[in-house]
Parts: sequence; C-alpha cells; structure tokens
Amino acid sequence: MNSAVKKYKEERKESSKKDIAVDVKSVTKKYRIHHEKIPSLKQTILKFKRTAYEEFLALDDVSISVKHGETCGLIGPNGSGKSTLLKLMAKIIQPTSGKIAVNGSLSALLELGAGFHPDLTGRENIYINAAILGMKKRNIDSKLDNIIAFSELERFIDMPVKNYSSGMYMRLGFSVAINVNPDILLIDEVLAVGDQAFQAKCYKVIYDFMKSGKTIIIVSHDLETISDLCSKVVFLKDGKIIDMGKPLGIVSKYRSYIEELEKKRIIEQQRAERKKIFKTVIEGNRKIVDGEEISRMSNLSIGGETINRFGSGGAEIMTIDLFDKSGKAVDYCSFGDEVKLAYKVLFKENIEEPIFGIRITDYRGNIIYGTNSRLNKIRTGVFKKSDEATVAFSFKVTLIGGEYSVSPAVGYNDNKTYCDWINNMFSINVLHRNMAEGLADLNPDMSIEKK
Amino acid sequence: MFSSIKTLFSYRELLLSLTKKELKVKYRGSALGFLWSLLNPILTMLVYSFVFSVVLRAGIQEFAIFLICVLLPFNFLSNSVNYGTGSIVGNSNLVNKIYFPREIIPLSVVLANLFNFLLELVALFIVLGIMGYKFYIYLYLLPIVIFIQFFLVAGMTLLVSALNVFFRDLQHLITIIMMVWFFGTPVIYPLSMVPEKYQFIIKINPMTIYTTYYRNIFYFVKYPEGAGFPSVAETLTALGITILIFFVGYFVFKRLEPRFAEEI
Repeated sequence: MNSAVKKYKEERKESSKKDIAVDVKSVTKKYRIHHEKIPSLKQTILKFKRTAYEEFLALDDVSISVKHGETCGLIGPNGSGKSTLLKLMAKIIQPTSGKIAVNGSLSALLELGAGFHPDLTGRENIYINAAILGMKKRNIDSKLDNIIAFSELERFIDMPVKNYSSGMYMRLGFSVAINVNPDILLIDEVLAVGDQAFQAKCYKVIYDFMKSGKTIIIVSHDLETISDLCSKVVFLKDGKIIDMGKPLGIVSKYRSYIEELEKKRIIEQQRAERKKIFKTVIEGNRKIVDGEEISRMSNLSIGGETINRFGSGGAEIMTIDLFDKSGKAVDYCSFGDEVKLAYKVLFKENIEEPIFGIRITDYRGNIIYGTNSRLNKIRTGVFKKSDEATVAFSFKVTLIGGEYSVSPAVGYNDNKTYCDWINNMFSINVLHRNMAEGLADLNPDMSIEKK
Repeated sequence: MFSSIKTLFSYRELLLSLTKKELKVKYRGSALGFLWSLLNPILTMLVYSFVFSVVLRAGIQEFAIFLICVLLPFNFLSNSVNYGTGSIVGNSNLVNKIYFPREIIPLSVVLANLFNFLLELVALFIVLGIMGYKFYIYLYLLPIVIFIQFFLVAGMTLLVSALNVFFRDLQHLITIIMMVWFFGTPVIYPLSMVPEKYQFIIKINPMTIYTTYYRNIFYFVKYPEGAGFPSVAETLTALGITILIFFVGYFVFKRLEPRFAEEI
C-alpha cells in the first residue's frame, strides 16, 4: 500500500474517532441484588461466605455511538436500563464488561440540585453545586448573575434552601446545571421543572445548546419531547437495544409496544378484578349471590363499589354486536326495526345447562328489559371446555329514542352463580321519533272523538 | 495511583469548596460561629486543669497545658476518622448522581478538621503566651509534624470511609477503636510513665511519636525535666508507618470506589 494512502486512511480513521462523542462498546452491566440489604461485619465474619444474592442483568451487550452535535434519545419501559446506561456514561458506575469512551467534557443531569445542603443559602449552594458539576471558581463568579437571573430567585437567593418550595429547588438546580456548559450533556427526566413559563425557558436553553453543536443524550418518557428534540432515538427493553434510528419510526414502534402492553395490563386487571369480586360475592355476602336477588338489582354495587364484570370465569363473553335485518353490524337503530343482538361465549370449563341472559338498562340504570334462557324455557345442553356459543336475541325495536346499555351474562344452572357478567358491555342507540316520552314506545293508534 | 492523584489535583477547587461547605454547615446557626474553635480548647483546658490538678492531683505541673497541646492534634485525628467514616454513605445523593473522584468527600472532612485544628492552635498560642511559655523556640518543627500527621489522618479516614460502605457496623466499631487508640497514645499520661517493656509497643503507634514532638514543642520548653525529642530511628519508623497507612488507605479506597454507587 502506498504510504500516502495509508496516511490518509489513518487520518480518516482518526477523524472519525474524533467525530464520536460517546462510544458505548458491547457494554454489559450486572447488578447484585442482596437478599439482605447490607451484609454486616458480623455476618461476613461468622458466615465466611458472602450473603446470598441474585444477579440482575441491567444491560446486555449494548453498543451505541453518539456523534458530536447529535441529540440522542433513550426510550423504553421502566427498568429497561436507560438510567443505568446514563450512569455508566457519566462514570458513576462501572460496566461489568465492555468499554465506554467519552470524547469531551461531560456533565450529567441525573438529579437537579443533587448535593444541595438545606442549611446553606441559594447562593452558597450555587457555588458548591457548580463546583461538583465541574465548574471552576472564576467561571462560577462570572456566571453567578446569569444563574440567579435564570432561576428567577433573586429575592430568595440569600435564604437557606430548606425554606424553598420544591419548584424553587428544582429551578435553582436546573439553572446551575445548564450554566456548566459541557460538550456533552446527559439528561435524565429533569426537564419537567417549574411552571409552564419556566419549562418553555428550559426547552429554549436546550435548543440553543443543540444549535451550538453540543451533544445531548436524553432519557425521557415524554415521547413528544423525544421526537421533538432528538436526531436519533434508541429503544431499550430489558437491557437490550430493540431498535434505533430516526425518531419518528422508533417512537411509533415504542408507542405500539406501549399500547400492546397497556391492553395486556387491562385484560389482566379485569381478570384479577373479576376473580376478586366473585370471591367477595361468594364469601362476603351470601344474599347477593342469590341469582334472583342479583337479577332484581338495577345497578350492581357491593359495598358501594360498582361492579363492571364478575363471575367465576368458567365461561367468558367475548364480543357483543347489534345486527340489522340484512345481518350487517350496526351501532344505531330506529323504532320498528327488526334487529338481532348477539354475543359470543367461550367456555373455559365443562358446563351443563348454562343460563344465557341479557339485560337492557336506560342511562339512569333503570332496567328496561331482561330475560334469560331459563325464563324462556330453552334447554341449552352441555358445553365443553373451549366450546364457543353465539347467543342471539331477535326483536323488534319498541324503545323510545335514546341510548341504552346492554349487559350480557352467562350463569350456572343453579340460577345463583355466574360464569361471567359484564355490566353495560354494549350500548344501543335508538333514533328519536319525537313522538313520545317515557321508556317504551307503545306506538298506539291515537284517535280523538269529539262529541 | 499517581494518575488518580493527578485527577484529584484537577479537582482541587471542588475539594476546597466542599471543605468550606463542611465548615459552613458546622457553624451555621450558632451565634458565635468560628469563635467556638477558639473557645473550645480554652474551656476544655479549664475543665481538665480543675479535674487533674485539684481533684485527681496527677502531680504534673500545669497539667492543662501538658494535656491540651497533645489533645488538640489527637482530636484532629479522631474527629476526622469519626466524621469521615460515614461520609461516603452520608453523601449518597452525590455519589449516586454525579461523577467526581470520591476521595474528595472524606478528604474534605479531613481538611475541615485540619482548619479547625489550626484555629485551635491559635487559641493555644494565646494561652501559652499569657502563661509565659517560650513556644516559639521549636515552632519551626510544628508545620512539619502537622504535615506528616495529615497523611496519617487522611490515610485512616480514606480507609474507614471506603470500608464503611460495605460494612456498616464499622460506624459503631470505630468509636471503640478510636478510644483504644486514645489510651494507647500518651495523651493524658506522659510517655515516661509507661513501663520500659511496653514502650516498644506503644512506640509502634506513630501518634506516640507525633505527640512527643507536640509536647516537646509546646510543654517541655517550660518544664524541661521530661523533655526529649524522639530518636531519628523512631521518627523514621513513624514516618514509614504513616506513609504505609496513607497508601494502603488510598489504594483500598480506589479499589472499592467503583462499587460505591451500587452499594449505597
């Protein structure tokens, strides 16, 4: 190889190395979780071996490189390792394996006002905090007025910070931190400071900081901020990088992940709630368990708590829909329409002769109509685990215009206990005819005879 | 090790700032403030001179001076170690959130106590002057002794502050250890009172050698019958042990430092 080419290549390599502000190379971080919090001297001496601990993998082979002038966002659910990564970059903790190279002065805003002493005044704390963040004394002297002005605490600056409100405390902390002016700034969820006006000011400072070509690495759950500020986003989960790239794509990917998670959580919660409520119904109040009793109650509440779903879970109501004459699913109907209300049930256990029922209530909770298969003297037969059933009620709409709630239910053949009852699962909208008031549209033939 | 001392030097402003903070916090809210550092040794002297000259009758002339000129440097050691033990654990908010060389925390405790010690010495000078002690004869030795003692204090404080992160019992144990050390050092008794066969043991303790220097500089200039500086061999041994303690303390501290943030 020609020596000039070689030299050129080396220079390029060198310059590309200089381009990178923070280089995280296959970093792994394991935490030890002690079962007993701190081993005491006595334990260590008496037991010889270390106290039992578990290893927790906070970061698993993570590699990120952030270039100078880039604003990089780290997103991910709680416990995904975002803050651990920032702490590693800030040298507060050491990686278990892997390497982190930092090019330039770095300042970490992991907590505002860390190290403020409550007994010292705002001014004294500015000096100490700025020194901790790596500022030189004469630098602080020249920036003191800036810091105080930015915090808008002129009147309180010679007061001990223990008398500050938490907002004032954070404002002072932010003002100091932002005036340190490092090449690389690490921010962990600290932008939500003070009132709206102050927050706007904070964002402006961050923007200015970005414009001046500095590097920012920011952890936030505020996805708006992330897509707003960042030129690159990293999506972390369980200590691993799921994806990284342009903010739009990554943020929407994270959003759909969050939504999925939320859905799962709600389903879990409902399942847990139903079990819990069913248990209280069984154990707590025998009287309410009585199926006849419960079918007479218009709004289901036990001990003041309104129940939206309860039952053993032996069968689950999956979907409910309203269909018009042609079999199309609709969300409204009019007086006189022939409609079919149908819900699907999935059996989770074998059940003999279950009772399928329905109840329609108005917006005040008055029962307009209710019926079930037993009342209709329909034998339902035997259902096995994972069987599905569709329960349909066809009727002619004779309701006054308005919105009505539908509560479907599946009960055991003792007529006392339920597999699943979902209160107000569905609503029927009946269009107004402006011809009557009340609950039912009797649609009478009206005539007047004059004598 | 030397690179970390270099890093430490670049953080000297933070070290000074935290030292000032220690002092400010100590005197904040008290009406007399720094005057307490002057008053404290004088009041202590009054109490001791009453107890040991009137009640116990130790038979030592001007016992208060005999005691205080050694008690002040010993307090510099014991206060630093006692306050320093919990210093890393007590500053968990800093250790967890901001990077800087952690030794700054215990060292700021040592420096604040050194400053206090120097203030107390000023009070001592005033009393000595009034009572006609020619303390200025050997005064040139004082900065050297203080300088060497500083490394002993710093080494001990670094060691215990780091170990305390991992063994919290140390916080309680250390008061006992310091009490043993206090009675193992000729502070309330003269070195000459120690039986010949135990002198060897007590002289391994570098504080024994330093207290002998302090006592010669301040007290024996007026009552020379017990006077006598430590031999060169004794001084070098004390110096060697001091340097050893300092480097062991610093080394252990630096070895444990990366795990501080996780353990607190």
